[in-house]
Amino acid sequence: MTMYAILETNNNPSETIRSVLKNMLSEKLVDVVLVPFKTEYSSLPMPTLIADPEKMLQAQPLAPAAPFNAARQAASVLRYPTGKKVAVVLRTCEIRALIELAKLKQCVLDEAILIGFDCMGRIENDSYLEMAAQEEDITTSFYADSSMQDRITGICKACEYFQPYGADLTICLLGMPVMEKIGLMAGTEAGENIIKSLGLSTVEQPEGREVAANSLLQKRTEARDKLFSETSEKIKDIEKFQKTIANCLNCYNCRNACPVCYCKECVFLTDVFAHEPEVLQRRAAKRGAVKLPADTTMFHMTRLAHMSHACVGCGQCSSVCPSSIPVADIFRTVSAKVQELYNYVPGRDISESIPYLVFEEESSNGK
Amino acid sequence: MSDEFEPKIIALVCNWCTYTAADLAGTSRLAYSANVRIIRLMCTGMIDPKYILKALLDGADGVFIGGCHPGDCHYINGNLKAKKRISGISKIVEQFGFDPERLRLRWIGASEGPEFQRNMNEFFESIKALGSTPVRDRMIL
Ligand code: SF4
Ligand code: SF4
Ligand code: FES
Repeated sequence: MTMYAILETNNNPSETIRSVLKNMLSEKLVDVVLVPFKTEYSSLPMPTLIADPEKMLQAQPLAPAAPFNAARQAASVLRYPTGKKVAVVLRTCEIRALIELAKLKQCVLDEAILIGFDCMGRIENDSYLEMAAQEEDITTSFYADSSMQDRITGICKACEYFQPYGADLTICLLGMPVMEKIGLMAGTEAGENIIKSLGLSTVEQPEGREVAANSLLQKRTEARDKLFSETSEKIKDIEKFQKTIANCLNCYNCRNACPVCYCKECVFLTDVFAHEPEVLQRRAAKRGAVKLPADTTMFHMTRLAHMSHACVGCGQCSSVCPSSIPVADIFRTVSAKVQELYNYVPGRDISESIPYLVFEEESSNGK
Repeated sequence: MSDEFEPKIIALVCNWCTYTAADLAGTSRLAYSANVRIIRLMCTGMIDPKYILKALLDGADGVFIGGCHPGDCHYINGNLKAKKRISGISKIVEQFGFDPERLRLRWIGASEGPEFQRNMNEFFESIKALGSTPVRDRMIL
């Protein structure tokens, strides 16, 4: 039976989670917690590593904002085992990306406690800041008033992976009267131990989660399919694709923001693409004209070739694009086909190999 | 010269098998399409996706990849790595309007000169039937 505890929220679910995290620290169940945190300087919560339980007051574990996909920050804390227990509170797309990074040996999850929550999506940074200027506690309003949930990004609306995979603990919001109570569900033995050590009384998992999950899944899947068909239309031939990315500046923000663009050094920053003047002149001569910076199309397609199996659809690449290119729409759409080909869901299961690392022996001629 | 479509075909072939087969085809005077430009690599396993993407974006009408039969790769499984990688690239480029038929992977052993000739001619014919690449005469950003 899944171990499940009910937590009263008294109209403030963030506070409830804060006190759980705080207790985990003060009871020394974990040594540090990585969690979104509102600094004294801005409303936008930043991933922050907390050691002092008192600091937990500023944590925003459920804030509907994510200035970036924090998988990378989590991976930097978990780069190698340190003998300390590290809890990380992450959105589903962040946990999935973190699992992909673990497969690439860029972090080790053995000492990590992964805490996820049913993700209702995130709001873009600028809108979030605007809203934060109007009201003190956006997080509570966001869960209290479902119309606010319409303000999440388009890519979040199309995300069917809102339930955490592989988390030690899941903060259950689906099907719960969030302003009264939420659930804390263990997904692993480590998670169970935490629930036990915190002395939380466990109950049978309440019904309603599955129903709520299914109806959200249906809504999200419909939005996803619409996104796929509209995006396919925008890229379906090279002319359309060129129009879609025509304003790209080769700033590589999208690549920087991407949690699963895993290369330590991007080839686009190496000499391979630092062309000699003669090369550019020759290309201009050959094709009549060459747009600079060159290799914009090459950049996007190479990035796809490298990481499309692992795209978690977090949307950060679109969020950071200065030219409003629907990068995430394109990457999710194209990646979906690649992932379907390999029957691979990034971050689904840490024991599942990266498709490019498994090659079957077969005899047919090349096909 | 007539206006007839002359496809540009790039063949990326491994040193140990398919290139040797091409060499054998040559010394055996087995003629094949002159539109094929061969690039020799040590192994298909070292084919970076960029090689294929660059060829396609620079106007190649077709890209042929030839390696050793499974089990014969001189680097154990480079050919199987290539196969896996190419299946993904093919899925990607297809969505941007490149017919996946423009990419072809075949295993041709060192002694298979006639096989090399046949493959080149077949690929040439199929590219000819597909027509010119969508990137010809178009600025690629
Ligand atoms: S490509 Fe974009 S949507 Fe996909 S994982 Fe990277 S940043 Fe997220
Ligand atoms: S962030 Fe936008 S402009 Fe910058 S490289 Fe990516 S797509 Fe191009
Ligand atoms: S050496 Fe021929 S495919 Fe590897």
